[in-house]
Amino acid sequence: MTTRVTNDMVMGSTLADINSAQVQMERTERELSSGKSIIEPSDNPQGASQAIALESALSGLGDYETSANDGTAWLDAANGALTGINEAVQRVRELVVQAGNGTNSQGNLESIASEVEQLTQVVKQDADTQYAGQYIFSGTQTGTAPYQQGANDSYSGNNGSIARSVGPSTNVAVTVSINSLLGEGKAANDGKLLDTLRTIATNLREGTPAAREALNSKDLGALETNMSTLDSLQATVGANTDQIAAAVSRIEDLRDTTTTQLSDIQDANIAQVSLEYSNEQAAYTAALRAGASIVQESLLEFLH
Amino acid sequence: MSIPTLQGLQTTLSGLLANQEAIDVTGQNITNVDTEGYSRQVAVLETNEPLHIASLSPDGGGGQLGTGVSATAFTRIRNEYLDAQYRTRNAALGSSTTQTNELTQAQSAFDEPSSSSIASQLSAFWSAWSGLSNDPTSEAAKVAVVSAGKQLAATLKEVNGQLQSIEAQAAQEYNAIAGAHGELQSDATQIAHLNEQIKLSLLAKQQPNELEDRRDLLLDKVSELGNIAVTKESDGTDTVRFGDAGEALVEGSKVDWPQAITTATGGRLGALLESASAGGPIAGYRNTLNEVAATLAESVNKLHTSTPFFSGKTAATLAVAVTPAEVQTAEPPNTGGNEVAIAIAALRGGAAEQKYADVIAQVGSAVQSATSTSANNKAVVTALSAQRQSVSGVSLDEEMTNLVTYQRGYEASARALTAMDEMLSTLIDHTGGVGL
Repeated sequence: MTTRVTNDMVMGSTLADINSAQVQMERTERELSSGKSIIEPSDNPQGASQAIALESALSGLGDYETSANDGTAWLDAANGALTGINEAVQRVRELVVQAGNGTNSQGNLESIASEVEQLTQVVKQDADTQYAGQYIFSGTQTGTAPYQQGANDSYSGNNGSIARSVGPSTNVAVTVSINSLLGEGKAANDGKLLDTLRTIATNLREGTPAAREALNSKDLGALETNMSTLDSLQATVGANTDQIAAAVSRIEDLRDTTTTQLSDIQDANIAQVSLEYSNEQAAYTAALRAGASIVQESLLEFLH
Repeated sequence: MSIPTLQGLQTTLSGLLANQEAIDVTGQNITNVDTEGYSRQVAVLETNEPLHIASLSPDGGGGQLGTGVSATAFTRIRNEYLDAQYRTRNAALGSSTTQTNELTQAQSAFDEPSSSSIASQLSAFWSAWSGLSNDPTSEAAKVAVVSAGKQLAATLKEVNGQLQSIEAQAAQEYNAIAGAHGELQSDATQIAHLNEQIKLSLLAKQQPNELEDRRDLLLDKVSELGNIAVTKESDGTDTVRFGDAGEALVEGSKVDWPQAITTATGGRLGALLESASAGGPIAGYRNTLNEVAATLAESVNKLHTSTPFFSGKTAATLAVAVTPAEVQTAEPPNTGGNEVAIAIAALRGGAAEQKYADVIAQVGSAVQSATSTSANNKAVVTALSAQRQSVSGVSLDEEMTNLVTYQRGYEASARALTAMDEMLSTLIDHTGGVGL
């Protein structure tokens, strides 16, 4: 406790009080105008450090979502192509059954063969489906069409796989191995779809009893086998689409919680800060008023 | 023996003179009410040597007759212990204020949180890789990856450069203050000069109040630069030791500066030395930035196997070493695969980012603690300053009271002189004139 109060002390402490009220107000003002409680890392060092990690995580979730949407679109294209192949194969199966009932003339068989050959081209066209300029069934050779139109049935892609990253260490494949279904054609004699289709067309054109017999049993059997391969490919595409959809809903949840966490750390509580601001304004005005009246007073006013 | 006839005149005259001198001192105090470093003075009034009056009675003994008053000294009111305390805390304040200043500059260099900070650039870099993974053969996506990488490297270099210039500026400021012909040497020279004048004044039996005020003010100023120890010598000079310098800064009229000091000196100079040193906090932040750059280059290059994506291993030298066409998305390169791009995008949140988040927490805490230390020291120095003001400062109320007191004393002395004069006039002019 000081026993003697001098003019300098009064001036000094009044000035210090006004100054500190102003500093406090300036800080609150910045909080109000930016809406953030962390304007500089020193406001909350641990929070600032966490905010960096959370901001990055949030941006990463956005990336996952973009990849997921892209992956879904890719898989939709794949699903469309496989559905097209499926329809073509169903039609071929009908034609083979129709050809096998023994009442067809050779002319009928020839025209059925033409339709089968046409459907073979449709299958190959579906296999050449592109998404955003990339061949989706070429493995990682996305710049090359997997099958050429015409007689050459060899597969020009590779067995590489392309994935979309839809979560931390969650990569979902968007490619399916189309050559496990279509194969390399008649020359390879691999029993795959293109081999089967070419064999069917050949047998139709031959029209011999042996060829008709082969159509009814062996070729129809091979077609069934190919169709089950096609089913499993479509199932794979469907499963991958589902996996991405699940990932997207997880991303949404994570984004909600991360946004909440980030907001808790760095956003200002506007109601509270506004209240503080009015308090500080009142304190500042009081300090000014007190200063104005105290600093003027002295004995000088009363001596004559 | 009787009282000397004219003694009364002398006595009242001393009253006039003493009150006049006291009014002069009051005037000096009032005029210096706002002078920095001024210590109030008081006139010390003492009774004069009394006259011994031998008794008229035969049994000896006698009486003493007062002969008035005189102002024997003009004392400077000052508390040396408060001065010493003030200077110690002022050194602490100088140190913490400078530290806060330097660290705040470092914090601003990082520019967190903002969209142009290293954290945002890192995030943008990972996003560019993620974008490339969705479209691995796209030229535009590869250009985006390269430009995000370049921007990140440029930001690292920029922040590192700003931190370096803060260190360089601290070293420069230290030299400007502590170097030859700097502020400290000039203050020390003035103190030595005042020491000499004070010594001479005391020898001439003069009270060098104003000179001592000026010397104390200079010592206050020097105390902000570093810890000082002041020894009062018997000849009135101050011996000043500065920080951990080997020799005294000022001894009598001799100045010994520049000398080598370390951060242990404290004060502003100690803090500047620390900021500029290779072991200081700012150099520490730069080391961490270098680690961020090295980790980033190493982890990306390890996945980008065709050719290193980044060259350089420090914040200052990190650069993108590939053209957009050389950006690798798959293993082997030049296919439509994307596993490399996915793997690099998955580095998000990894070691580089964690190290960076750590350094932000470090610099934030450093600024926070320096700011609060600085605020504490400021409060203590303000309190000590108020205590010193309470002792040494001029109170106008008090001075006005003194003025009235001494003025009345002067008037009363004059009245006493008039009474004495009238008394003598009766004796001299009217005695012996009976019947004239």
